[in-house]
Amino acid sequence: MIAIWRRMSGVALGLLIVDLAGALLLTVVTPSFTSTYNLFITGRDFSILLLVALAQMIVLAVGQMNLSIGAIGGLVAIVESGLMVSYDTPVVIALALGLVLGTACGAVNGLLIHWTKVNSFILTLGTSYVFAGVNLGITHATPFYHVPGVVASFGQARIGAFPHVAIVTIVLTVALAVFLRQTVLGRQLLAVGGNQVAAALSGLPVRRVIVTAHGISGFFGAVAGTLLMAQLGEGQPTIGVTWILPSFAGPIIGGAALSGGSAPLLGTVFAMVLVSLISDGLILVNANPYWVQFLVGALILGGVLLGRVRAVGVRDVFRLKSTPPPVTDRPAEEPVPRRPAEQK
Amino acid sequence: MSTIAPARVVLEAAGIRKQFPGVVALDDVSLRLRSGEIQALVGENGAGKSTLIKVLTGVYQPDAGTVTIDGAPVRFGSARAALKAGISVVHQEHNLIPQFTVAENILLERIPTRIPQFVDYAAIYREARPWMKMVGLDVPATRSVSTLSAAQLQLVEIAKALSLQARILLLDEPTAAITPHETGYLFRVLRELRAQGVAVVFVSHKLEEVFELADRVTVLRDGRNTALDHVIQGLTQDQMVTYMIGRSDVLAKLPGRPEHGEPVLEVRDLATEAGARGISFSLHRGEILGLYGLVGAGRTELAKAIIGEVKVTGGGVVVRGRTARIRDLRDALARYRIGYVSENRKEEGLILLHSVLTNLSITIWRRLRLFGQWIRRSSETAAVMPLVKQLDIRAHSLAQQVGTLSGGNQQKVSLGKWLAADVEILIIDEPTVGIDIKTKNALHELIWNLAANGKAIIVISSDMPEIVRLADRILIMRNHRLVGDLSNNHDYEEVSAAIMSRLS
Repeated sequence: MIAIWRRMSGVALGLLIVDLAGALLLTVVTPSFTSTYNLFITGRDFSILLLVALAQMIVLAVGQMNLSIGAIGGLVAIVESGLMVSYDTPVVIALALGLVLGTACGAVNGLLIHWTKVNSFILTLGTSYVFAGVNLGITHATPFYHVPGVVASFGQARIGAFPHVAIVTIVLTVALAVFLRQTVLGRQLLAVGGNQVAAALSGLPVRRVIVTAHGISGFFGAVAGTLLMAQLGEGQPTIGVTWILPSFAGPIIGGAALSGGSAPLLGTVFAMVLVSLISDGLILVNANPYWVQFLVGALILGGVLLGRVRAVGVRDVFRLKSTPPPVTDRPAEEPVPRRPAEQK
Repeated sequence: MSTIAPARVVLEAAGIRKQFPGVVALDDVSLRLRSGEIQALVGENGAGKSTLIKVLTGVYQPDAGTVTIDGAPVRFGSARAALKAGISVVHQEHNLIPQFTVAENILLERIPTRIPQFVDYAAIYREARPWMKMVGLDVPATRSVSTLSAAQLQLVEIAKALSLQARILLLDEPTAAITPHETGYLFRVLRELRAQGVAVVFVSHKLEEVFELADRVTVLRDGRNTALDHVIQGLTQDQMVTYMIGRSDVLAKLPGRPEHGEPVLEVRDLATEAGARGISFSLHRGEILGLYGLVGAGRTELAKAIIGEVKVTGGGVVVRGRTARIRDLRDALARYRIGYVSENRKEEGLILLHSVLTNLSITIWRRLRLFGQWIRRSSETAAVMPLVKQLDIRAHSLAQQVGTLSGGNQQKVSLGKWLAADVEILIIDEPTVGIDIKTKNALHELIWNLAANGKAIIVISSDMPEIVRLADRILIMRNHRLVGDLSNNHDYEEVSAAIMSRLS
């Protein structure tokens, strides 16, 4: 615990304080916040969305993006529930196939980005529609109802306020932390994100690293889709369609650099706690829940801005200086507005 | 005495000093430029040419010294202010919008309109043509810039500068990317502009071009003038090279080393995609091979071809007696134990935002792993600690970000990762560029000792004293060919003269 505390970044610490203050505020303002049932529901939603955020964080760590996390989660949930409901596939096999499929979808993203050199934003935007299209092609937009009881009950189960699905999230989060800090591939992943050219010229396998990052992203998206299917008790084709905002909210509010090289795991966790507190709080105080989007959006903008301030300082972010220092070797070419009439 | 008609001085920089954290980029540098004159600005990489150009164009503010235009002191707050005063720069990288037409690019800063905000296309093409004619750009004004050659792009940039009423034109290595034929054409255009009274500053590494085109030359070395406003006529290439690379710095003599061992790397008739042809040499165990040449001679490309990062189109490489097909650096490291220290440590050598530990151990993670993937931080630390001591890397801790170290310490880390990997063959590209004399000496001794302990080393450098001090043998490269292979007796006067004779 002490080790974690000492290693905690300023952003993570700040978010932790805000989280504690927010939780305290909600406890005082709305008695129902601390009710067992409310904590269970909030914790369950949080468990799933944290996996979504980590799926994005791992790709941001190599300086790329994955817009297809939701589409992968949806497709996996549909394939798993379809196998179980329509083909009576044993639960274990169906879930394993689904997770392999999700990982493969992510790996395909990585391979395509590496081969085509197409920007990850546009490429995963494309594949997200491919995955979502397969989903709708299978389902015709109708859910697979009545998944096996063992799956559905796991999604609903709790010990006190502690949801069973959170076990999965905790295990995967710890595993990801260990992977990033203690394994060769994890270290290589951050190195490639920090400077791809230098990493390649130090002998690192850049393609394998990028494909791995996207594979992990697909896997986390697949687990999130599976857990949501279990919680709903049915394979909804719409699983994952709203994940794009939370997926970026976690890592970006948590302090990830869009240029890659950092994976602020604790920051992402605490940022997602904050997002959960906001959505839960607004519901509890009977505010219009649509304001959740507004607030989370504002937080993301705040996170990005904070990142810029840390990178270049307050003055330059807001262009308070008349002559910004040259960031590159190339002098800024500024237009010279001269009307033809003035030239004479 | 000059054969050039007396002309008035339009731009003068005097006593310019510019300091960056840890480096004095320009120290008491001057430049004088007359109308109707072509002044060459010459110097090796890092000599301060680009910094001087940035000071003249208002990108940097000098810490001391004055810039005067037509005798009146000026202080440009921005690039835009310099443009207004009539100074335009044509950069190596083009600042044109590829999808726009030639005429639109020329008039980009002041698109003609009839009604405000509505573009008057007829006027664009009408107004752009005279400028195109002036630089002899013979393409339709409606051509998209993306379809032009590098030489034509240059002409568009010059036309654009002229249309902004530039009286002073700074050309930063304008011939780096164009063919000799196109260069000839560009020179005709520049002479024409000179005849019309434009003052031109011409930055180039190619001395032949300087002698062909320029009236006068200003030479920088290590941020100081070694020649100021020197008339080209009567100057020899030898003298010019001496101005550029100077005399040996006073450094202690290095001790003797054991005899070389067997050849470990043989390059046979190598040809590369970058333009090298017929390159053959061999490198022995315990030997330091110097690869000397001016910037642009193709030394880095040759090094990258050996490690598989530039495509080889002919000939081959033999490592320890066996023909090697090296796919990339990863292959070079894992199968052939070759390392490469890039000349560009910030972009290619280091992960600046990561720790000293990561940057030193990056090459040995695979070796340290347990059970397939596991790395223990303690074994990683144990592996790099001796290096930190051996290289005398000054950092608060192994966790310190490499980007916050001084240049010399960064270079030590960039080199250190290959020592961690214990490579047998090490190619070091510009080992001491931008590094103070003390650290430079330490790095020289380090490289010397590595060779004494049996490593085979290629040192690429455009620093003649460095090459003469370190190398056992010196390969001289010019225009992607080897033009000399000298054994080095470390006598600076003799060896530098021999090298210069091969370069001119």
